[in-house]
Amino acid sequence: MITLTIDNREITAKEGATLLQVCLDHDIYIPHLCYLEGMEHAAASCRLCFVEIEGVAGPVTSCTTIVKEGMVVKTDTEVVRHLQRASLQLLLSVHHVDCAHCPANRKCALQDMAKFLKVGLKPKYLEQHLKEPEIDQGHPYLDYYPNRCVLCGRCVLVCKNSHDRPFLTFAKRGLDTVISFYEEDRAEMPCDECLACVEICPVSALMKRKVG
Amino acid sequence: MNPIYNQQVEQAFDAIRQEAISKTKAAKNEDIPEITIGKATCGLAAGALDTESAFKEALAEQGIQARMKSVGCIGHCYAEPIVIIDHPASGFPPIFYHQVTPGKARMLVKSFLLDHDPLFEHLLGAMRENEMIPQVLDFPRFQFEKRIVMEQSGFIDPGKIEEYIARGGYSQLVKVLQSDPEEIVQGVKRSGLRGRGGAGFLTGAKWEFVSRAEGKEKVIICNGDEGDPGAYMDRTILESNPHQLLEGMAICAYAVGAGRAIVYIRAEYPLAVQTITQAIQQAEALGLLGKNILGSSFDLEVVVFQGSGAFVCGEETALIKSIEGERGMPQHRPPYPAQSGLWGMPTVINNVKTFSSIPAIVRNGPEWFSEIGTKTSPGTAIFSVVGDVVHPGLIEIPMGVTLRHLIFDVCGGIPKKKGFKAVQIGGPSGGCIPEALLDTPVDFDALNHVGAMMGSGGMVIMDEDTCMVNVARYFLDFTQKESCGKCTFCRIGTHHLLRILDRITKGEGRETDLEQLETLSQDIKRGSLCGLGRTAPNPILTALRYFRDEFEAHIFEKRCPACMCRQLTAYYIDLDKCARGCDACVGSCPVEAIFTTKDRKKGIDQTLCVKCGECMTACPEEYSAVKKVSPPDLAPIVERPDK
Amino acid sequence: MTKQNNSDEERIILEDIESRLSSFGKDRWNLIPILQMIQTRHHYLPADAIRMVANYLDIAACEVYGVATFYNQFRFNPPGKHPIQVCLGTACHVSGGDIILENFERKLGIREGETTEDREFSLERVACVGCCALAPVAVVDKIVHGRMAPSKVEGLLLGFQIEKEKQERAKRSDESNL
Repeated sequence: MITLTIDNREITAKEGATLLQVCLDHDIYIPHLCYLEGMEHAAASCRLCFVEIEGVAGPVTSCTTIVKEGMVVKTDTEVVRHLQRASLQLLLSVHHVDCAHCPANRKCALQDMAKFLKVGLKPKYLEQHLKEPEIDQGHPYLDYYPNRCVLCGRCVLVCKNSHDRPFLTFAKRGLDTVISFYEEDRAEMPCDECLACVEICPVSALMKRKVG
Repeated sequence: MNPIYNQQVEQAFDAIRQEAISKTKAAKNEDIPEITIGKATCGLAAGALDTESAFKEALAEQGIQARMKSVGCIGHCYAEPIVIIDHPASGFPPIFYHQVTPGKARMLVKSFLLDHDPLFEHLLGAMRENEMIPQVLDFPRFQFEKRIVMEQSGFIDPGKIEEYIARGGYSQLVKVLQSDPEEIVQGVKRSGLRGRGGAGFLTGAKWEFVSRAEGKEKVIICNGDEGDPGAYMDRTILESNPHQLLEGMAICAYAVGAGRAIVYIRAEYPLAVQTITQAIQQAEALGLLGKNILGSSFDLEVVVFQGSGAFVCGEETALIKSIEGERGMPQHRPPYPAQSGLWGMPTVINNVKTFSSIPAIVRNGPEWFSEIGTKTSPGTAIFSVVGDVVHPGLIEIPMGVTLRHLIFDVCGGIPKKKGFKAVQIGGPSGGCIPEALLDTPVDFDALNHVGAMMGSGGMVIMDEDTCMVNVARYFLDFTQKESCGKCTFCRIGTHHLLRILDRITKGEGRETDLEQLETLSQDIKRGSLCGLGRTAPNPILTALRYFRDEFEAHIFEKRCPACMCRQLTAYYIDLDKCARGCDACVGSCPVEAIFTTKDRKKGIDQTLCVKCGECMTACPEEYSAVKKVSPPDLAPIVERPDK
Repeated sequence: MTKQNNSDEERIILEDIESRLSSFGKDRWNLIPILQMIQTRHHYLPADAIRMVANYLDIAACEVYGVATFYNQFRFNPPGKHPIQVCLGTACHVSGGDIILENFERKLGIREGETTEDREFSLERVACVGCCALAPVAVVDKIVHGRMAPSKVEGLLLGFQIEKEKQERAKRSDESNL
């Protein structure tokens, strides 16, 4: 066990644990999207879980930081909050904000973070950019909403963990990146039963298709 | 740790060297003339193959015997196709000819080879000192250069390993095999060599880390994924002297204890892939690579891996992912590749230029190398100088030379008597440097200090007709298209930067745009996962720092001071200068926007004009009647007569 | 082209790919070299080829697709007979590469990334072919053309048209001679 200080609180943690997990375990909320408990290599792609560490230049992502004896961490500095707001606003600028009609309403990670960081859902200076089409129905059982998706990759990860040959992938590149399927033999797809990806999605971008 | 081998390797190599020497000697028949043609990609693009066949045809027609030799690139791209003719019977030294068209080739065969007249009006210079023709080595370009990496580029046939060996090649590997690997690592560390890929990390420190890393298997990778638009020195080295690179890689592999090596080359360089693949085969055939090198128990398997067109794969963790058969997305560091790289093995990743510097360092010693260049950036730097410059090409100079010296003395300055505006260094991760900072020395730290970056060494010179807003937009367009899409700041942030710049260059800029650009740029720099994102805003930040007035002119006056942004510019024909009856511009216009007025002068239909500038080029210089203005409504209106 | 023709064409392509797969190992790191082999030989990756490669390497088809769509090199539709690439590297941009691209677009009546209806030409932009000293540059049928100008665009395309007409005339006269 090691001891470190987070926001002036002395905390003991297991050696080798990530700073983000330690914070979450101690009810210190740090906004995050792409991190999943127990993941081997953090993707560090959502760029939200920043903290400042004494003696380290600039904010760092807490999901990739391993706790160290005597570490002094601040999770609520101006620089940290500025970066977190900037990242969230960027995500919102490519998000179809339509909470009233969205199944994720009230249990949406973006709403929670916006509230926590005091960010409006419609960023003022950034022009909205949405993808076409609104729904991808290429999968036999699932609907994918690219304009809800935050590309956190949790679905790709759980799919990989649950099946030897996964059914979900990132496809394309850059701003065009989407979650994608590849047409496969329908009979061999367990997706109808599994639904791990649907459950893990923080923004309801993957939904089981309603039949009829 | 590798064992140290005894003199047996030297004896094994000696036989190879003797054979290489006699092979090259036999090929060079003193009695007949030798025609050397540069056939790297630039030479080929300039028509070297047509030139070569013209020589062959003319030789056959005249019944002259001559030896045709192919070499790589000598770095003087402005002069391509380049031909060197050695005609001992004429009494002249070997002569360097530039821009040798097929017509010139035929003339040379007849006049020089047959009649011993070297055509003074077409030659650039002689290859050695003599009393008849000025020597090219006395030209400023050659005088200021110091060639370590490119020493033999353009002089040896990259397709013939014996030429490299006959000039001392691979003997450094032989020397290394007889010394302690640790000694090599320490030597490279002492030389102060910094990675030539851009970031400038100390090469020896990287090697030391890998040599001491746990793990049975280690691997080395040569990063030839040269993606910066405007940089092509890695391609040139691969095409012109592949064995020097392979020797450097073999030395590294021995020093760190690696048994596998991968040369990663971008897909856009087919000739480089072909040349290096052939070089590996030749080296393996002689036992200089592969199993039991020179009879020792040191094995090194070298394979070529082709990139698939993703700029981000120049980033080392993304490059590793792409070799592993995955999407080339950068990973968080640590772990660094030196700890856990390809397939989890400790991995050395160095740039083409870094590995190619190694044989010279081993030959001359670390102290020799560290005395070249500056204290913190020893050695030479290779720049590809292109754009608005008299003598574009590849230049290898000692670190620490000033930009002014490089651009004006070595490369001849700005053509067409135009003024210098800026030099862009380091590609999409670098920045634009204005005239006021031209006395900045080129080394890793000084360039960082002014907001640019050494990067891979691409240098684009821009004259007064270049719009810096437009150039910043260009680079953002590039990084935005090449962003891998993994992390939020780079994926979405660069998109917004590009949208704002797009607006500004179209005359739709808003008052808040400059502040937005600055804030967003700082956020992306701070928040992005990898180097691509963290440096992507550099072109904007330097442009804002040094050329803010141009942004303001676009936003507040809807005017492009350089008349480059097409939506803000118009072409018109100055009727006082236009000559009656001259139709040069009419024929040049691709969209038939130019009409003839009642008094047989010309006018431009602004509704049709696509602003390509062909008419301006076509208009004879003595009239120079085509003009450009910004904002476009300043162009005088000329009525099109009814048909 | 009829549907029948299309599937015949694809069948031949798939047979060719199948016959070459065995020269590659089955480790994951063969994925990109295999895709490159298909792209180089057939100029695009047919949908069934993606499945075939996935089976060969024993990985999910969606992963192959995810990797293939990441890289610029791979196409998913057959390209034109004469691929045209306009370089928009820095040096080419500064010397008007976009104007060259626009001229090709105008003359061919297609946009960047598209193929003409008769499948003769396809047009795309590339980021630097490394011939910056000859800017602006276009690569037509893998041959690098330096110092491009709008008039040269016209000349190049005219050359193809003349060549095509010549071939058609020759074909016609051959037929009439029979």
